[in-house]
Amino acid sequence: MVDTQALALVLAEPFMQRALIGGLLTGALGGLLGSVAVLRELSFFSDALGHSALLGITVGILIGVNPTLVLIPFAVVFAILVNQLVERSSLPTDALLNIVYSTSLAAAILFLSLVESYRGGIRQLLFGDILGVSTLDLIVIGMLLAAALIYLCLSLRAQVLLTLNQELAGAVGVQTRWHRLAFIVLLAVVVAVSIKAVGVLLISAFVVIPACAGRLLCRRFPLYVFVSSILGGTCALLGLLASGLTNLPSGPSVVMVQFLGFLIALILSSRIFRRPSTTALDPQI
Amino acid sequence: MHSPVVVVSDLSVERSGRLAVDKVSFELQSESETAVVGPNGAGKSTLVAALLGLLPRTAGRVQILGQQLSPNGDLPGAIRSQIAYVPQSLALQGRFPLSVAEFVGFGFDPPGPRWPWQQHRKRKNAIEKALDRTGCIDLRNRLLSELSGGQLKRVMLSFCVVRPRQLLVLDEAQAGLDVPSNERFQQLLLELRRQEGWTVLHVSHDLDMVRRSSDQVLGLNRRLCCSGSPDHTLTPERLVDLYGPNMVPYRHQCHG
Repeated sequence: MVDTQALALVLAEPFMQRALIGGLLTGALGGLLGSVAVLRELSFFSDALGHSALLGITVGILIGVNPTLVLIPFAVVFAILVNQLVERSSLPTDALLNIVYSTSLAAAILFLSLVESYRGGIRQLLFGDILGVSTLDLIVIGMLLAAALIYLCLSLRAQVLLTLNQELAGAVGVQTRWHRLAFIVLLAVVVAVSIKAVGVLLISAFVVIPACAGRLLCRRFPLYVFVSSILGGTCALLGLLASGLTNLPSGPSVVMVQFLGFLIALILSSRIFRRPSTTALDPQI
Repeated sequence: MHSPVVVVSDLSVERSGRLAVDKVSFELQSESETAVVGPNGAGKSTLVAALLGLLPRTAGRVQILGQQLSPNGDLPGAIRSQIAYVPQSLALQGRFPLSVAEFVGFGFDPPGPRWPWQQHRKRKNAIEKALDRTGCIDLRNRLLSELSGGQLKRVMLSFCVVRPRQLLVLDEAQAGLDVPSNERFQQLLLELRRQEGWTVLHVSHDLDMVRRSSDQVLGLNRRLCCSGSPDHTLTPERLVDLYGPNMVPYRHQCHG
């Protein structure tokens, strides 16, 4: 039974209102980009980006610049360099990403141990602090969500064909290198911006879980992108409310709600799509 | 007299730092079918990629539909819109939330940004017609990842036929198909080629099919080892020259 009085008290707090809006926007953004990232097998890439973001924050602290200002350019440069490494190396992508992310994490922890004042902040960096989201953070996340939505909507054909077969995409006139790079840079910016709220360890869950749930439920691509984004936002909202009511940590609460959503999608998909030709969520062309 | 749709002169292309195609010259006559055969690593897919404008040329000239291409390989939009391409496979691991009709629709759309809700009547009709012509109309709401190998290849031909084009390029499109699916695909390709007036260039390892369906064969092993009609090119001696001494040519003898 939900304690409505406690819920009203929680919702009345301005920091909680900002946290809920921040969670909603971050969750929707993660689901939106995750829908393409998961199909393009970039789930592990987002994880590596998250760990590199921790290194970016540490570099910011060490050089005495606000970590938030360092984070976005650091993540973008890092993403481009890793992309180049993956494209040019003959080693398997997952092995390369593993090297990159474990090295980033190790370097970040080593650097952080050198900074006396930040030792207590590691937990917040690892698990996020959604309650510390400012109005400026909300504006940045909102603008990013709008930009990502417009880019993905306008380039849906390019994204799908690029995912299916790079040569096929190039043959029909898709600027393959440009779109690959644009998506990776966008993913890097989103990960960098979301780190504050979600944390380094849980950021990949925001990208992967809602998209996988959407993938189980949908049979049309635009609907899949939309549902993944909605699931991401809704799970984040419900997770934060649960966290506010139970006084449990916010990031892990959201991920547990996302996992619950994934389980529901798994059950629904096995019931709805038992026969391949059944088209419960499939409007006619 | 048919005019050449593609004229390739002394084409050389590098891939991964090595010369994969070396001074290759040939012509594709209008409405003809040409097969590129050769061992693995012979540069067949590199040749296709260079013709599609996906790789820059190291040397030589390429003319498609009367237009000379720039050395960096970029195809003008007007030329690109006349070329259809069928790759060997699509990355459809797991459940891919894309219906057959959506995929075919992407073959109709012009390049460039477009809102997903721009569903014109003309586009819908073109999708239905293309699926009908390839016998895939009942598959239109199926997921691409739910199709069998043979169905997927026929849907890929729907992608090509959804709007008029002049040149069809297939890169080992029949790989992985069983014998009945292969025969059905080949029959459909032949019908569509006649109806559409396509000029076809296909990379294949199926020498028996090449012998039956092609007007011209290009034997490629980095350089053009042989070219001409199937009877002239696919002789035991030339195949040994092309594939090496371990090649044992076998010709099906089908009667009845």
